[in-house]
Formats: sequence, C-alpha cells, structure tokens
Amino acid sequence: MKKIKILTIVLAIILLSMIGFFGIYTHVQNRMENQVKDYSYAMDIKGARSIVLTVGEDIETIIKDAEGNEVEDADSLTDEELTEKGYIKEEQPVNKEEDKNSDNYKKTKEIIENRLNQLGVDNYIIKLNEESGEIILETTENDQINDVLNVITTTGKIEITDSNTNEVLFNNDDITSATVTSNQEEEGTTIYLQLELTEEGSKKLEEIQNEENTNIETDNTTDNTTQNNTTQETEENEETNQNSTEKTGKVSFDGQDVNEVSFSEQTNTKRLRIPIGNQTTNTTTLNNNANEASYIAFMVNTKKIPLHYELVGNQYILSEITENQMQIAGYIALGIIAIGIIILIVKYKLSGLLAAISYVGFIASFILTIKYTNVILSIEGLLAIAMILILNYVLVTYLLKKSYKMETYKEFFIKISPIIILSIVFCFTNWAPISSFAMVSFWGILLIAIYNAIITSNLIKIKEGKEK
Amino acid sequence: MESTSMKTKILVCILAIIIIVGIIITFTIGLNFELKYQETDRIQLLVGKEFEISDIKQITDEIFPNQEVIIQKARELEDVVSITAKEITDEQVNELKTKINEKFGTEITDTENELINIPHTKARDIIKPYVLPFIIASVIILVYMAIRYNKLGIAKTVLTSIFWIVITQVILLSIIAITRIPIGRLTIPMVLIVYIITLLVLTNYFEKEKKEKTEKDS
Repeated sequence: MKKIKILTIVLAIILLSMIGFFGIYTHVQNRMENQVKDYSYAMDIKGARSIVLTVGEDIETIIKDAEGNEVEDADSLTDEELTEKGYIKEEQPVNKEEDKNSDNYKKTKEIIENRLNQLGVDNYIIKLNEESGEIILETTENDQINDVLNVITTTGKIEITDSNTNEVLFNNDDITSATVTSNQEEEGTTIYLQLELTEEGSKKLEEIQNEENTNIETDNTTDNTTQNNTTQETEENEETNQNSTEKTGKVSFDGQDVNEVSFSEQTNTKRLRIPIGNQTTNTTTLNNNANEASYIAFMVNTKKIPLHYELVGNQYILSEITENQMQIAGYIALGIIAIGIIILIVKYKLSGLLAAISYVGFIASFILTIKYTNVILSIEGLLAIAMILILNYVLVTYLLKKSYKMETYKEFFIKISPIIILSIVFCFTNWAPISSFAMVSFWGILLIAIYNAIITSNLIKIKEGKEK
Repeated sequence: MESTSMKTKILVCILAIIIIVGIIITFTIGLNFELKYQETDRIQLLVGKEFEISDIKQITDEIFPNQEVIIQKARELEDVVSITAKEITDEQVNELKTKINEKFGTEITDTENELINIPHTKARDIIKPYVLPFIIASVIILVYMAIRYNKLGIAKTVLTSIFWIVITQVILLSIIAITRIPIGRLTIPMVLIVYIITLLVLTNYFEKEKKEKTEKDS
C-alpha cells in the first residue's frame, strides 16, 4: 500500500514534469504545435522599440492679415489672391533659435517621462543629448506602442482663439488641469472637455463675459429708440443683435481644430467647458468623443512640450542577450540543480531520492505557474526564479533533516518573511523589472507552501510510515 | 575572547577601507558604465537576409579591434543589424558596408544606413524607478521587525536593521567602484541579492536572539 501510494505520487510528478519541461504537442495544420503557453519576456531579454526624436528644423509658412493676425484656411489662395486681400506670407521655423536651449531640452525629457509614467509604460530608458536636444527612448514592444508614439510626438499645445479676430484668448499657460465630463439629456449625451483656469485665465474669461454683457446692454438701449416697430420685428432684432455680440472661441489642439466654445454659456469663470463633438445617442460616436476628450485632457495635464520634435527613428531592436546565451545560462542552472539533487540522494538515500523527485516536480510546476500567470520575465525575474529554487531546496533539506512537522514549516516561513513582504510590496509596482521579480517571488513562495505541504511532506510521511 | 575582538577590529578596518576607497574612486574616476549606458555611436545596416550575430562579430572584430561592440538584430524580420560602439567613424562605416556586402552579397547603399550618436544614461535615471519601491518595502519590513522582535528592543532592532541594510549596499557599491564592474543591467539584480541576503541574515540573527531571550526569561 505504501509502495503504491509513493508510486502514484511519483508518476503524477513525472507527468507534471513532462508537461512542464517538454509541453503538450498536438497536430495543427501538418505540424506539431506545443499547446503549453510560452514565457513572456521583458525588454531587457526580448528587445525594445528604439525611438529617436530630434528637435524640428522645418520652416512653416504662415499667412497673416494686415493686422498681423494669423489667417487659417488660406493655404489654397494664390499669391495674387493673397495680395488682393492684403494678406502677407511669412516663413518661420517651427522652433525659434532662442528656444533651442538645454533647459527646454531637459523640460521636454521630463514631460515625456511624466507622460510615459502616466500612461503606465512599464519599462523604458530615456536618454537626452543636452547639446542637440536629441532624445532616444527605448521602451517595451507591446500593444501600447502606438499610444507611446502618440504621446511623445504630440506637443500638447491647446489654444482658444477668438472666432472672429483669431486673437489667442487662452492657451496652456491659462489652464491648470483638464478633466472629461458629460451631460446627459433626453436628446442625447454631450461630452465636455473641462479646463480648470488659472487666476489669470479666470480673469480673462470674466472680462470676455463682461464685455459681452456690456454689448448686449448697449444694443438693447439702441433697440428702445425704435419703438415704432412692430413687436415681432423688435424680437427678431434683439435675437440678431445678441448673436452678433456673442463671443465664441475656436478650440485647437496641436494645430487641429477641435470645436467652438461659447463664452456666454460658461456658468463658472474658473473653468471652461468645451463640447467635444455634438450631442448624440450613438454609443460609438460617444466613445470616440470621450476618447478624444480624454486624450486632450491627458496631454493638457502632462503640460506642453516647449519645442516641436520630429520622429526620425522608430525601430524594434532585439536584445543583445542572445538565445545562445540564455541556453548556456539554462545549462549552468541545470548543472547546479543536478549537483544539488545528487547531494540530496547521497546524503538522505531513499528519502533524498523521493525529495529529489519532488523537487523536480516543483520546478515543473513553477515553470507552468510562471507561464500561466502571465508573469513577464526580466533579468530580475530570472533572479527571483533562482531565489525560489534555492529557498525550496532549503525547505526540502529542512523537511528531510527534521522530518515533517508544522514547526519546520512555520520556522521556514518566519525566516523568509522579509522576502514575502518584499515581494508583496513590489507586486504593486508597475516598473517591469521590479514587478517581474515580485510576481515570480510571490507565485514561487505560494507554490513552495502549497506544493511541499501536498507532495514533499506526504512523500516523506508515507516513506517514514507516519501517515495516519 | 581577545582574538575575536581583534578579528572584529580587523574586519571593521577592512570594510572601512573598502568604503573609503570606493567613495574616493566614485568621486574622482567615477563609476564604470556598461557600453549600453555610455555615450556611443550606433549604425544600422540593412543586411536584407537572415544572418548570424557571430558572422557580424567577425567583421566588427576586424574593424573595431580590442573594442567592446554591441551587435543586435533589428526589425521584426531580423534583417537589419544594429552595431553600437564607443565611436564609429565614417571610414569604419564604409568598411562595415564593404565587408557586409562581401560576406552577404548585399548592396548596402548610403540611404540604408543611419549613424546616430546615443547620449549616456544618467545613473539617477537608472536608479529612479527603484528608489520608492525599495523605501516603501524597507519601511514595512522595519515595522514588521520592530513588532516581531519588540522584546529585543524596538530601537535596537530598527537601528541594527537600517545600519546593516545601508552598510551592505554601500560596501557593494564600493566593491563595484573599486573592481570597475560595469554599472548596467546586472547592477539592480546585484543590489537585490545583497538586500535579500542582508534581510535573511538579520531575521536569522533576531530569531536566534529572541529564542535565547525567551529561554532566559522562562
């Protein structure tokens, strides 16, 4: 009976080891495919996206009216038409020479870092050439890469200009933060980009609203002098006059028009509510509007990049750690494990052999756990694997030395309690190398507790005939 | 008893010398960074077909003798080679192109390559993401130790732990500075190993002390 029990456990371990080490192969389209999940690697082992950004050197052509205000939608006009309208063509660099300085380069790097952190990018290396302003970013190659490219190449410049005069009324300097809100009515939902204004921005909005009110009052006084008109005509005139005095702003983000905003509709001078898209009941449109608003809010909150940068390099580069080097490391680890197992067998004979079989089963279970818990392996993660294998070896030796007792378990886990705390705390970190270490350690320690309580201790108990 | 005290004194002296020399080297010569974190030049050449890193290494060994060079495959197709060295001159670029063309029968033209200067990575940028998690974890571990080993004296437990956690890291960094071990991808794992070993040794020490004290009291 004792032999059968031991044999059953050993066979179960062998099966587990076969799956863990070699996988499960099935026939898929004329080839054998392993159905067991593969490891996921972090950028230090797998490779990274290398992005190169340089300070923009382009020259842009701007068309201005006689008063010096920028005119939009005039690109299609011929030179003759421009002259007729009194417009002037001006060429200016996208980045002024005086802006190209070390302070702005450093500020840009800080903003990019902040954006990457806010976006939750789990690993990156950013390098700045303080002389040329060139930025080199290496980051994880995953589904998030397009978002990363967007946030690092967008300047984040928001401007609200007078719809009639094109005069810039508000810009990033007048805004402290941005949020996304919505207003649900029977006709549909409107998404708003809510900009919290600085004290100065708030004063500007107040002035604009006061100016509007004064204009309306003046117009109403003029209306009273024409009392002979019919009532209907008076109402029509009032409406027209109010429309003509109502000041609206054109909102643009990174040079792209977003929407118009009515200043008279703003109920609080401390903030500006800008509708994004129109009121709608269509879920897809609503989601698109919300995404656009969130994107602008994100950019506004992470501040404007002081310079215009150009993306000049964007390539996936594999890690310098080659498969061959990984294999060599694997063989060395295998050699050390083999020596450890031999020591167990020589020192503890049959109990040692059973513990060694159990240890192999633990490795296989650990491999499967790492694969199926989606742990991303970095160099720190590999270190955690080594640590867990050592800890499990120590526990197995403890169990062999002192035989299975609850105290042995308790003593072991008390001694490694700082590592347990460390791995739990590190689990809350987003930074891939740390979280990799934490996740591997966490699952490893959990597995040590469960696996040894079920398998190793039972094997030893059965062998020693202590089983109840 | 006297010999133990003498041994301790010698050990303390050796550790103090290591720390002082390490600090002097760090502030005078500076730390030795891995090539990946140094200011380097990088060239990317389109080989246009599958290649082995060892083949490229033969070429770079000829062009950059006795120099550390990083060779990486690039692009999803892995048909671009990225070569990073401390300095790459235009002559070396031309030589690289010629030799790769000869070896792989390709026609690398000027438009297919791109030589860029990669600035060095600042040590603080490497360390920054790790500082806060380490501080939080250390504080929680210290609180745990203070509670578990309160019989040994909270102040003694906490101060001993802080002292050894800090001193072992300083010794590690001094050894890194003295031996010129490059600062790079393996530095944080090394810091982690020393940190974990310190914690395990401290826990073992406090457990033993606690046991002895309990036995004494009873």
